Amino acid sequence: MKFVVALASIALAAGLAGCNSGSTPEAKETTTPTAGGKLTGALEVQAFQGGYGIDFYQASAKEFEKQHPDLKITVEGGPRVWESLTPRFANGNPPDLTFPGWGMKHWDLAEEDQLVDLGPALDGKAAEGEGTWRDTFDPQILALGQLKGVQYTLPYYVMIYGWWYDPEVFKKNGWTVPKTYSELLALSDKIKKKGMAPITFQGKYPYYMIDGMLLPWAQSIGGIDAVNAAQNLEEGAWNSPAMLQATERIVELKQKGFFQEGATSMSHTEAQQEFVQGKAAMVPCGSWLFSEMKKTMPATAKMEYFLPPFIDGGKGDPTAVLIGIEPWMVPTEAKNKEAAIELFKYMTSLSVAKKFVQEKGTLMAIKGSDHGELPDVLKVPSKTLRESKAVYSVQFRHWYPTLSTELENGLTSLLNGQISAKEFCDRAEAAADKVRKDPNITKHKV
Amino acid sequence: MRNTKGRNAFIFAFLSPAVLIYAVFLVWPLLQSFQMSMYRWRGVSRNRKFIGAENFNNLFQDPVFWKSLQNTGTLLVVAGIATIALGVLLAHLTDGDGAVRKFARAIYLFPQVISLVAVALIWQFQLNPKYGLVTDMLFRLGLPVRDPGIVRDPRYAFSAIAVAFVWHALGFFVLLFSAGLKQISGEIKEASALDGSEGWHRFRHVTWPLLWSVKRTAITYLLIHILTVFALVFVMTEGGPDRGTETIVSYLYEQIAKNGQYGYASALAVVVFGVSMMASLAVLAYFRKDPTAGARA
Repeated sequence: MKFVVALASIALAAGLAGCNSGSTPEAKETTTPTAGGKLTGALEVQAFQGGYGIDFYQASAKEFEKQHPDLKITVEGGPRVWESLTPRFANGNPPDLTFPGWGMKHWDLAEEDQLVDLGPALDGKAAEGEGTWRDTFDPQILALGQLKGVQYTLPYYVMIYGWWYDPEVFKKNGWTVPKTYSELLALSDKIKKKGMAPITFQGKYPYYMIDGMLLPWAQSIGGIDAVNAAQNLEEGAWNSPAMLQATERIVELKQKGFFQEGATSMSHTEAQQEFVQGKAAMVPCGSWLFSEMKKTMPATAKMEYFLPPFIDGGKGDPTAVLIGIEPWMVPTEAKNKEAAIELFKYMTSLSVAKKFVQEKGTLMAIKGSDHGELPDVLKVPSKTLRESKAVYSVQFRHWYPTLSTELENGLTSLLNGQISAKEFCDRAEAAADKVRKDPNITKHKV
Repeated sequence: MRNTKGRNAFIFAFLSPAVLIYAVFLVWPLLQSFQMSMYRWRGVSRNRKFIGAENFNNLFQDPVFWKSLQNTGTLLVVAGIATIALGVLLAHLTDGDGAVRKFARAIYLFPQVISLVAVALIWQFQLNPKYGLVTDMLFRLGLPVRDPGIVRDPRYAFSAIAVAFVWHALGFFVLLFSAGLKQISGEIKEASALDGSEGWHRFRHVTWPLLWSVKRTAITYLLIHILTVFALVFVMTEGGPDRGTETIVSYLYEQIAKNGQYGYASALAVVVFGVSMMASLAVLAYFRKDPTAGARA
């Protein structure tokens, strides 16, 4: 029956898109800002309902409606909103403004001319203060939404990747946060002797370990260029010495018994629960960890962020931070683009962004939004990001999903001792080579 | 003549809603996936490109496709045989009208009424390396099931899926075979007893052949059920570790959800359709003739 449903859904989507096969929209639509103009009509927003919910967007829409009484905004969403949005895009009936969530292949949307170029709007006046809307964003973060120089998506909140520990537990045991890999080894030895698991991880979803260990350690050893060369599919970049040595560190931790028993089969929440309950001392995760775990966290538990331990003697940047965004976009076939852009401009204004930081406990892509009093859990990530000399981001996962899947599968086999570090890197390189040689896959550059 | 016409209209009126629903929601999508399998389409716009048999060419050169087909076949054999063997055994053990037996039959049916996603979640919980009851029991028996944990261990993950499937499906087959056993008349049982056929001999030479029509239904049902098993794999193992439990339908889902390859996924769907069709026809052909027809006449 499930198979029939799967077939039916493919075919239904096919039917929706079937009437115009082979056609390619000729002109890419762009917009010009009309700040101050009268906004009218209906405006539909569809947003991913993740850890931060959609209540903030709904409240912002209400405020915006007060300023534009002729505008009627609806904000809806769901935890798998991309599943209902995909056929709507295919059918030419998308919402006006959307944050479709991590499951949406937004680069496919961009390549298929389904998204508005937001560049001209960014050059318009900002919602608050002097300067352009573009000036209000951190330019490095803004660049994550570009393809061949065109701004297809815009960031909202920013996720910082790293590791977490409980400062109370560390203080009680006289442990110090490991800044380097050798310090990590020494500390893990002490933790293990105490009868606690030094590190746990979300093994069911191996990309957590890719973002928390493999890529930061490849960055430590070979610099951000080593990571970006791999993302850019440069030949030999996935089995470069930096990648290989980073992989060998994972194998070493496994062989020394520093990973929690059974972590390979734990989901993200299962592993993170082990951490907040004090069964494991450290866990790699993004800055959403607190909001994800606060409901099941023991009242006495604390969590604090730190950068993944730097590989001793590496030529990378010890201050570099891995960041991520989840993009917002305006569909080409939206019916009220002007209002959609103005609403998002309002949502990204400094005062609204500061409110989001306070209410949701996350950093934002908007300059200055982390000034002022921050929630405790954000203080260290914010300071780390401010003090970092460079940031980088995992972009290949959305660009080349087959490569990402092969890396995840290989990592599981590596952890199970079925393949060596070299075999893992060679598999990754082979998968990258396959993508590189496939003329039907659009190639991206960091 | 008028009577026949009226009768036909009557039949047509009753059949048409079902036929219409079947045509719109099953036949038409099915035909469309045949069409889609010849296109390259990302599913996010109206743009698609006709590429003929390219999706099929790629599919037949795709090692993951063959691996998933092999896994599905192994599951079919292992879980299929286990389900039928246990189904027949338990139907025998619970055959009769006693309250305990009736209660036991109801208990066996219980997992069947739970949705497969819930079944998968129950088993995921039971197999958790830290607090799973089943993990704990197996660990106490001396099996190294705590690391990396059953669902991520290449030695156990496949068995975990098979066991969860059998646990879920068994009740239905117990019921099916129980009904089959009830159909065998008391006279035959009595006659075979008089002829000195008891126990295993009677099962092999009398009961098993007489379960002919039930076996046909059971195997066809199992075939379709296992070829399209998705939720168990998706929730429990995500096809892992390293494709170890990837089935043809979980791979199909990956092509849509992760890769946005709707044409390729449709080609996979067409292959699943072809395999199910051929296997079902083979089962029907094998069981076409009632082996007991002559004996009963």
